[in-house]
Amino acid sequence: MIDYQYFIDHFEEFPFLVQLVWRISVVLFLTIILLTIYLKVIRYHLRKKENEYKTFKKEYEALLVEYLYADKENEQISNEQQSIILKIKTHIPIKYKRKMVISVLYNLMNEVSGEMADSIKTLYYQTGLIDYALTRLKNKNWFVIAKGIGELRRFKVEEAHDEVAKFIKHPKNEVRKETQLYLVNLFRFEGLSFLNELKTPLSEWAQLQLLEVLQKFDDQQICDIKPWLKSKNDTVVLFALKLAQIYNQFEVKDILIELLSHKEKEIRICVIEVLTNLYGIEAKEMLKTNFNQLSIEEQLSFFKLLENLVDPSDETFIEQHLFHKNFEIQLLALKILKTINIDKFLSLNKLRSNKEVPEMYKFANNS
Amino acid sequence: MMSKNKIVLAEDNSTLSLLLKFRLEKEGYELLMAVDGKEAVDLIESQSPDLVITDIMMPFISGLEVISHVRNKLALEIPIIVFSSAGQEEMVLKAFSLGANDFMGKPFSPNELVIRVKRLLG
Repeated sequence: MIDYQYFIDHFEEFPFLVQLVWRISVVLFLTIILLTIYLKVIRYHLRKKENEYKTFKKEYEALLVEYLYADKENEQISNEQQSIILKIKTHIPIKYKRKMVISVLYNLMNEVSGEMADSIKTLYYQTGLIDYALTRLKNKNWFVIAKGIGELRRFKVEEAHDEVAKFIKHPKNEVRKETQLYLVNLFRFEGLSFLNELKTPLSEWAQLQLLEVLQKFDDQQICDIKPWLKSKNDTVVLFALKLAQIYNQFEVKDILIELLSHKEKEIRICVIEVLTNLYGIEAKEMLKTNFNQLSIEEQLSFFKLLENLVDPSDETFIEQHLFHKNFEIQLLALKILKTINIDKFLSLNKLRSNKEVPEMYKFANNS
Repeated sequence: MMSKNKIVLAEDNSTLSLLLKFRLEKEGYELLMAVDGKEAVDLIESQSPDLVITDIMMPFISGLEVISHVRNKLALEIPIIVFSSAGQEEMVLKAFSLGANDFMGKPFSPNELVIRVKRLLG
């Protein structure tokens, strides 16, 4: 006791600053001790949970395999399968177990085909997991809804069409995107009908995702894209142009020609690309005739495409643009000329009127 | 008594591994499971299997490296079946050029795999 009193007296004799530093050090030391204990407790619980998760996963995987091989030819669901369903059903109300069951089911569904994939889907229905996904659609949080739609898409739940389709005009982009993916994944080209009324922009990434989904299907019978080419939503028009090019929609020629005078430059450039890809020489002649009415970007886009479509009859047209006001067009004209008439191209070396030509000539000659 | 044919199965999806193990063991094969390419190489070196089934994308050592190890370093002629997912066509070509005998694109039917295994082990 005397010793303590001695320390306290000694401490109180210290200047204020030293006392403050000591006090802070003690507080920090105690905080570190407490945080270390807290960390230990958290680690212990996480490890315990992880072990529980692993054990349950192992147990569940064995049950799933047993379920998949317990198929009987005459019965839709055998008694053995029924008892496995009941066993799994008891775990479903626990959130982390439910999440694990869904992830295992989904991972396996991606790896196996045919009857086995159908059995997995049946299990998803029978265990009541589908009800949890449908309940998520009624949640007030947008991210829960998006996750729910994503799950219904992954398990190909066509029956949820009406419930999911309601979200196509949802204010959150993520929910709209999940809805679009759900519709296209499950209903293919028919699922694209949401484009008819789409007012919000369809991002480039969303367009690519939709195209990727569509290309996976064996049946490539595309629906009528004309209404989308006439859409007031520019991103829908751009998407329809991509569809026209990928699926060789020759019947939309008239609309494509009309779109050459669209107010959006990006669309006009895209139309030139589609026209040249679909109609080749025919489109080339048409664009050559209207060349002077096109903007610089459109002219450049046309020249880029001309590189692949050029033939000797284009020589005069190319020559006319060797001294175009745009540098890139000049360069492309030189390159194209080199491919169709090398003698004329070589004779250009003698030209000195335009200072840029010799350098550009060298570049085109080496490329 | 005839000894069972040994198969090394290298697949990082534990559920699929278990499913295939169950199916192939039912057909009378002895399955040696590997969760990554490194384990697969160790098993091939220590167990001298009659056939190798490997996924292309695996942690640590890929399926391609497993094939290369079997054909070039160990100089074994055992049949190799490769699993591939959509978009891995280039990898499949590489696998064949390294010496794979067959491939199956995911998703696949386990019954079809059994047929291919039987054919290769003739």
